[in-house]
Amino acid sequence: MNLSQAILAFVVLAPGVVFGVLAFLWLLGWVPGERIVSRITGATFSACVLALAALLWKLGAGGENFAGSGSPAVVVKFGNWFAVHDYHFPLVLMVDRLSLPFLAMTVMLSGLIGQFSATYLHRERGFFRFFLLLHLFSFGSLLAFAAGSLDLLAAGWEIVGITSVLLIAFFQLRTAPVENGLRVFAVYRACDIGLLVGIFAMHHWAGTAAFDSGFPTLTGAEPVTICLLLLLAASGKAAQVPFSGWLPRAMEGPTPSSAIFYGAISIHAGAYLLLRVQPVLAQSALASSLVVLTGVVTAIHGAIAGRASADAKTSLAYASLTQVGVVFVEIGIGWTSIAVAHILGHATVRTMQFLRAPSMLHDDHQMRSAIGGEMPHTGPRLESMLPEGVQLWLYRWAFDRGHLDTILDRFVIHPLLEVSRVFAKLDHIGSLPARRGKVAILVPDPARQGGD
Amino acid sequence: MSPPVEIAGVLLRGVAIAVPWFAAFLVAVYRRQARAAGFLAALVAVAACALLLVAAPAGESLYQALMLLYSCLTLGATLVLPRRDCSPGTVAGILLMLGATLLAYSAENLLVLLAAWIVSTIPFLIPRWFQPRGWRPAAALLLSAAAFALATALIAAGGHALTIDDLRGKSPGGMAVFVLLITAVIFRKGILPAHAWVADAAEGGPAVPTALLLNGHFGALLAAKLIVPLFPVTPGNLVPVLSNLAMATALYVAIRALTENSPRRLLAFLALSQSAAILAGLESGTAEGVTGALVHWFVVTVSTVGLFAILRLLEVRFGENLTAGKHLGLAEHAPRLAVFFAVFGLALVGLPGTLSFCSEDLLIHGTLLSHRFVGLLLPIATAMNAVSVFRLFTRLFLGKRRTGFTAMADALPRERWVLAAGVLFVVLGGLFPNVFVAQRSAEVAAARVIPGVSPVSGSDRCRR
Repeated sequence: MNLSQAILAFVVLAPGVVFGVLAFLWLLGWVPGERIVSRITGATFSACVLALAALLWKLGAGGENFAGSGSPAVVVKFGNWFAVHDYHFPLVLMVDRLSLPFLAMTVMLSGLIGQFSATYLHRERGFFRFFLLLHLFSFGSLLAFAAGSLDLLAAGWEIVGITSVLLIAFFQLRTAPVENGLRVFAVYRACDIGLLVGIFAMHHWAGTAAFDSGFPTLTGAEPVTICLLLLLAASGKAAQVPFSGWLPRAMEGPTPSSAIFYGAISIHAGAYLLLRVQPVLAQSALASSLVVLTGVVTAIHGAIAGRASADAKTSLAYASLTQVGVVFVEIGIGWTSIAVAHILGHATVRTMQFLRAPSMLHDDHQMRSAIGGEMPHTGPRLESMLPEGVQLWLYRWAFDRGHLDTILDRFVIHPLLEVSRVFAKLDHIGSLPARRGKVAILVPDPARQGGD
Repeated sequence: MSPPVEIAGVLLRGVAIAVPWFAAFLVAVYRRQARAAGFLAALVAVAACALLLVAAPAGESLYQALMLLYSCLTLGATLVLPRRDCSPGTVAGILLMLGATLLAYSAENLLVLLAAWIVSTIPFLIPRWFQPRGWRPAAALLLSAAAFALATALIAAGGHALTIDDLRGKSPGGMAVFVLLITAVIFRKGILPAHAWVADAAEGGPAVPTALLLNGHFGALLAAKLIVPLFPVTPGNLVPVLSNLAMATALYVAIRALTENSPRRLLAFLALSQSAAILAGLESGTAEGVTGALVHWFVVTVSTVGLFAILRLLEVRFGENLTAGKHLGLAEHAPRLAVFFAVFGLALVGLPGTLSFCSEDLLIHGTLLSHRFVGLLLPIATAMNAVSVFRLFTRLFLGKRRTGFTAMADALPRERWVLAAGVLFVVLGGLFPNVFVAQRSAEVAAARVIPGVSPVSGSDRCRR
């Protein structure tokens, strides 16, 4: 393993190792103080940033490979994670022109969020838990972005999903964040079916899911099938229509996690997946068109629904959604370099906006004081040009967030739960009466206590 | 294998089986020091099974590995059983099941397998021992035993030898025996439409012993040990029927679990759904599917026993009428139990970094290769199971803190070490899966475990 490979392995593995060690020590009974945790986090991400800077310098100094051809500049092969005959799960990390910006964005923003959260979450219950999950999330993201195959990308992808959900439910004593976390988890898992089956299809038809060797030309309905499956996964992760309903629910988490997940990294993971399989996407005009259509519809939806949002974080989330929709359009058209630049710029600005969101009122007061009066109006809004009836209809539509959750509830979730209840009735034929426990310390039993 | 090694193998098997039974007898008669006796007997079984595994030839270690796994689970169960449950009757029953299960795994004769099959169910048929309330569990266990016994009788009546090796590939007894064996699997494993007894047993019986009964996976054992090897060419090509029923079961109980609020029933559904995938993988006929099924067997066993054990610990501490219908906020009082529950639960449904991620990956590939459309049900069922696991976790552990009491113990040291060992197994197995997968893959490739399976991989077969 040469120096570049060692650096890449270090950058990806460092947050994972820190997570593993801290979690193991906690299980053994050690509860570290806030200062130790924040210092460890700072040191980890600083080291990762420096290491990536060194890698970039090294590649820039002598890497014609990196600047010129599309082949990866650094590849680290750890062999096969597991293998059954000729089916392999390769453990390959790689850096190329696509993954390096994402890796850099992840370590820099994770470090920034770590530093911000040390103050923001001071004396918060769950301070240690937040930092544990931040490390795990960073590891998952870095693994997904540096993955040399779709299989490994899926592993990182799933880790990002589960940490995202656990952070939405961070304020665990309140019911709403916990229930919203469950909802987001359900959407993620449903859409991840597309990723799993898409990977299978890639192995089956292309004979490989590795990125470093490039994808072969597929025939017939193969590319469109693969792309549609991966579009399902990408749409779920990037909250594209019709899965956008989970995004405002995800704002229940602490602001730093909202910033890094839904302003910067997690929300762009779907776009990264599509950028990664761009060679396959380019083989299917139908799939590319659907990516464009998804992006256009989502951008319009985000722009309209965001205008009726009552709180700052949800407005910012919809603004993110609009931009990610535009990124999807760029990817569908094939403007991949513009899409990458767009993602980097958007992630940076949006993170800053999210982190400033809790101080919004303070900022507003300061600006008013500075200018000595009310803020000037920004001009007439576009919707005021529409007839009043259409404005009202649009307001209702935006207020209910495009009715997306309602549609999902009515046509997917409720029928599924109804089927489940029918199954329950069938199962209860000849079954036991409900269980009655011996002790009811925790859950008051209405039958014993005269109702609740 | 040389004769001395063979004799040593027989002796070790004898020790692994006889010591738990002897200890069960002692505990039942003297009724003292039940936990210590159970622990020591299980420890001896673990040591004997470990030696058997070490001595097993390459590519022929599946059943030795399963014996070791089951012994370790029983050892853990003797430690993790709450004091309230650790009666002489419970420990004797667990040890009886341990001996019977080890006998079944090592059986090379139909009659021995049948005897082990019946003995393992005895505690669940006797009132005031492990017998659950309701008629369905006992009926299912009795019907499965009757079907297996009838199949054995028909084979014997046909003039065949009863040694499994001699029966390989001969389709003894034809369609009648095949159907009876499938029936035995359906009832014992809880395959649709005979699935309801599993939830009844979990709801109305003792939690840890029931988890051990379910995770003996006798149904999968019968499929792996008898049905696939004895009937390589099935009458009427019926083996896919079992596979399709297994996939239907996985999906049915996954949907059923979505609205279930009893934690025990919910866990039973999850265990059933995930373990039904084992049958589908075994039948897939692809190297990936069969290897995935064998690896999944281990993961499901450890995860579900861990989950049931944690649930029982919660019941003992917080009351037996826990529900997934509302948030109980137990993580405030038992954070480590919450973490163990989350890891076991997510390990059951394929979290990356756990062994089930690999087994699910292989299973999905294998089943999709063999049955393009039916195979799609597996990832769908797994996704629904993941939602149910997470729902149960959030309802039990998250939400508003209860104020009815001031302090309640988190995991005790003996519980913590046992649960940590289980977590280490699924996590280390997930980080370094090839150690595990390679062995199972070698067994499949050598076509010694399940001769019906071609050593040619499924991917290869499809590309041709």
